[in-house]
Amino acid sequence: MIEVKDVTKKFGRKTVLNGVNFTAEKGKITCLIGINGVGKTTIMKAIMALTPIDGGQILIDGEKIHKGSYEKITFIPDTITMLPQMKVHEAFMFMADFYDSWNQKRAEELLEFFRLKETDRISDLSKGNTAKVNLILGLALDVDYVLMDEPFSGIDIFSREQIADVFTSHLIEDRGVIITTHEINDIEHLIDKVVLLDNGVVLREFDTEEVRENEGKSVIDVMREVYRA
Amino acid sequence: MDVKFNNRDPVYVQVIQFFKEQIAKGFFEPGQEIPSRRELANQLKINPNTAQRAYKEMEEQGLIFTEGNLPSRITKDEQVLKMVREELVLEAVTTFIHSVRSINMPLQEALKIVEQEYEKE
Repeated sequence: MIEVKDVTKKFGRKTVLNGVNFTAEKGKITCLIGINGVGKTTIMKAIMALTPIDGGQILIDGEKIHKGSYEKITFIPDTITMLPQMKVHEAFMFMADFYDSWNQKRAEELLEFFRLKETDRISDLSKGNTAKVNLILGLALDVDYVLMDEPFSGIDIFSREQIADVFTSHLIEDRGVIITTHEINDIEHLIDKVVLLDNGVVLREFDTEEVRENEGKSVIDVMREVYRA
Repeated sequence: MDVKFNNRDPVYVQVIQFFKEQIAKGFFEPGQEIPSRRELANQLKINPNTAQRAYKEMEEQGLIFTEGNLPSRITKDEQVLKMVREELVLEAVTTFIHSVRSINMPLQEALKIVEQEYEKE
């Protein structure tokens, strides 16, 4: 389980996170929702210890993040971090050098699933295909937790459907996933849990099936209630 | 399998409803093997946890059964299959009554139209 406890973060005088609390369980897909600038990416970077926090605590399976944690949790940023002149298989080699948890077989499986070639140069790929390669780099790591920052933004509908397909497959199953998005429509049926953020705090954290069952509301209904209040 | 899910009812409930309809229409036959929860999740584009929940619930209701490590199957229990049909018909009739009543149409008149339209189809 990933536990985010009372986390605060300031950039200069601007408070970005003002006591954020939520949990993300293994085997579940948790979705962080909020308009641009509410600190979704900052939370992910804080979980990965890529940015220092000013207060609070973040635990991964009860432990603070340490060097070994990076074999257990991974972050897929919204842009690819590999050099553009690299070919896909070179990016794979880079990952293999860096991580013990790299699973080459799975990477190849994903490549085939997305119908991409390992001889493609990253700079030659379309935006959607670059996003897919980026996704493969993260998903081919045998880690327990995957954080994805806006995996659906700026991508055509078919690529989005393909990416959504990954979520229902064995590639995600049993892992803990946190994704951020501002377009909930495509994935409403895929996610287990929603964390609604605004002004650096969590406005509501809920289980999607529970809200449908007990309140007869869709995720969008709850968002309307929470954000318009 | 192509299902359009709405966003307000629990997805697992909608999955069960879908199964009941398929059974009642005879698309799923008694004893027929059904997809694994992962296959179902993938086919219906839903969360594997939700597929799991739907199967668990259907197992409890006796709609499907699993023997050992074999794939789950649609029940062969005639009683249960009959109940599924009845339940679906009753649901449709209830909705119909509700709509007709709200526009104050007498039963006899409504039934006459039902007969006419039923023949047409």
